[in-house]
Amino acid sequence: MALLEMQGITKIYNQGKIEVPALRGVDLTVEAGEFTTIFGPSGSGKTTLLNMIGCLDKPTAGRITFDGQELRELDKKALAMVRRYHVGFVFQSYNLIPVLTAYENVEFAIRLVNKYHKKEIRDRVLQILDAVGLAGLAGRKPNELSGGQKQRVAIARALVKEPKLILADEPSANLDSKTSEEVLQVMLKMNQELGTTFIFSTHDPRVMEYARRLIEIRDGLISKDQRRESEDVSD
Amino acid sequence: MGFIIKIAYKNLSRHKLRTFVSITAIAFSVMIVVFARGLINGMIDTLSVDHIQYNSGHIKIIDQEYLQQERLLPLNYPVDGFNGEGPRAMTADLKEIKDVEMVISRLKFGAMAGTENELITMCGWGVEPEQELIFTDIEDFLVEGRMAQTGRMEVVMGTALLKKLDRKVGEKITIVYNTAFNSLKGSTFEIVGRLESGLKMLNEVVFYLPLDQAQRLLEMDDQVTELLLVTSDKKIIHRVLPEVKKLLADKGATDRYLALGYKETSDLIPLMDIMKIIYNQIYIFLVLLSCIVVINTMIMIVKERTKEIGMMTAMGLESKEILQLFVIEGAIMGVLGSLLGAVSGSVLTSYLAEVGLDYTSAMSGMSADIIFDAIVYPVSSIGNTIFAFMLGMFIVTIACLIPARRAASLEPTEAMRA
Repeated sequence: MALLEMQGITKIYNQGKIEVPALRGVDLTVEAGEFTTIFGPSGSGKTTLLNMIGCLDKPTAGRITFDGQELRELDKKALAMVRRYHVGFVFQSYNLIPVLTAYENVEFAIRLVNKYHKKEIRDRVLQILDAVGLAGLAGRKPNELSGGQKQRVAIARALVKEPKLILADEPSANLDSKTSEEVLQVMLKMNQELGTTFIFSTHDPRVMEYARRLIEIRDGLISKDQRRESEDVSD
Repeated sequence: MGFIIKIAYKNLSRHKLRTFVSITAIAFSVMIVVFARGLINGMIDTLSVDHIQYNSGHIKIIDQEYLQQERLLPLNYPVDGFNGEGPRAMTADLKEIKDVEMVISRLKFGAMAGTENELITMCGWGVEPEQELIFTDIEDFLVEGRMAQTGRMEVVMGTALLKKLDRKVGEKITIVYNTAFNSLKGSTFEIVGRLESGLKMLNEVVFYLPLDQAQRLLEMDDQVTELLLVTSDKKIIHRVLPEVKKLLADKGATDRYLALGYKETSDLIPLMDIMKIIYNQIYIFLVLLSCIVVINTMIMIVKERTKEIGMMTAMGLESKEILQLFVIEGAIMGVLGSLLGAVSGSVLTSYLAEVGLDYTSAMSGMSADIIFDAIVYPVSSIGNTIFAFMLGMFIVTIACLIPARRAASLEPTEAMRA
């Protein structure tokens, strides 16, 4: 069964009396464990599509099924629960809580799902920080970390609750080439080891090199959907 | 919830100066509430104590006609027993009433004394010295000499009155007065004591003399102008007063005598009681004023953290949890500010309760008829401190709902775009 199915997704924003279509009937199916990149020029509808997938926004028309559940039927609270338990987000600007340490930022996400004991929480947080290469930096606050380290904390925060899907919006935009490479390696490793589904929104060619599926979006429509063989992919 | 409290607490350290200013604003307003309540309570207490001691007792018994002309100090409406047998039997009956501890007799009359250039009008209080020393603070006010003694032609006067009369303790003074039969007489007394108090009336107008001498000179044997009943506590008057009225009724004296609770004989005390209620409402507005600072801070915080709120919503926090986060943040400021204000207000009030606030110059123009001590001692109490703390804490927390609701209502996609 597909993790995500989108049929005829349309999203129209109203700017005063003017209707601005962001998506015009998108059909998309994502299987569990995919490492997918959505790319396209600015204003093509990438972020809008990502918001629909992440249950942050509702489509004007169309149907979204996530893990077998029709999202249209869910109220605000139920959508929050889907995000809390099954979706992780990685943002371009990291969006870490500045007063919390790297450990606490990750701990916050796992505490929200409320299914682990205290010791288990500690073990999992330290384990995931170790996995993203931040073993010795758990006690540092975001302002004491580099851009790449912050993004690793954000990845650890998204991964720690073992979500089914991680959505990453321009994850490499604020990173230099080397750091960007390292961060993508971490995500790829998590995809391979944990089977977590990753969907990126980007126009960074470095990210596209890692993707096993490339989806191009133009003017609110999918213009290209290309699956790549392993030998074409960097790893 | 535990982690939300932790984040809310840690968030306070983001802008330390801003947090400090908000907490200080709350602390300042709560401190004013503690102090103002202490001051008002102190004024009411002082006013009540002085009024009870020097005017009304807890319950005052006077002739009905005397009440109408009290300011003129008439001698033709005395208290002379239920059937004219003298106040002694009446006093004995009144003492039989449960919780009546003392019955004080006073005979007040108008008098004059002359200096080289002018005549000074005064008010003579014929009293039983032992009773007065027990019931009032007169002993504390005696800064020179002693209280007048029964059977002797002695008077005690206030410092200001002695100055007006150009007399000193140990000297003689001739006082002129009208007797009960309206004949003008003069008698010479020895000044045996000098009083100094914050009460303008005692300082400038009143002179004490023994009751027996006053009765003899005024030709009012076995007569007084008022009987003051002293109970164990002013709070039980509502229970004792009906008993006194019942006794008057049983003795057939209701047509002649009035029994009045101390609040009935004061214009100021009921007014102060109303002021207390009004001030309680003013305190709410005072704390609300400090809330403007907190609300402003919180609105700025919500604006600054819009993106973070979007991130939290994306992580699956519900609107009510975002609301909780900001309310808790405001509530922590409310608790810290209120605690600081309550403690500092309590310390300030306790200090002023010891040294007092001197309003002598402010009250210099006030009539001497108003028995009000110019030195006010605010009352410091745990109840007052807790009241101000709770008021500050609750109002600030409730006020924080305004910016918190704004944060909770943010759409995640819009918040993340900010």
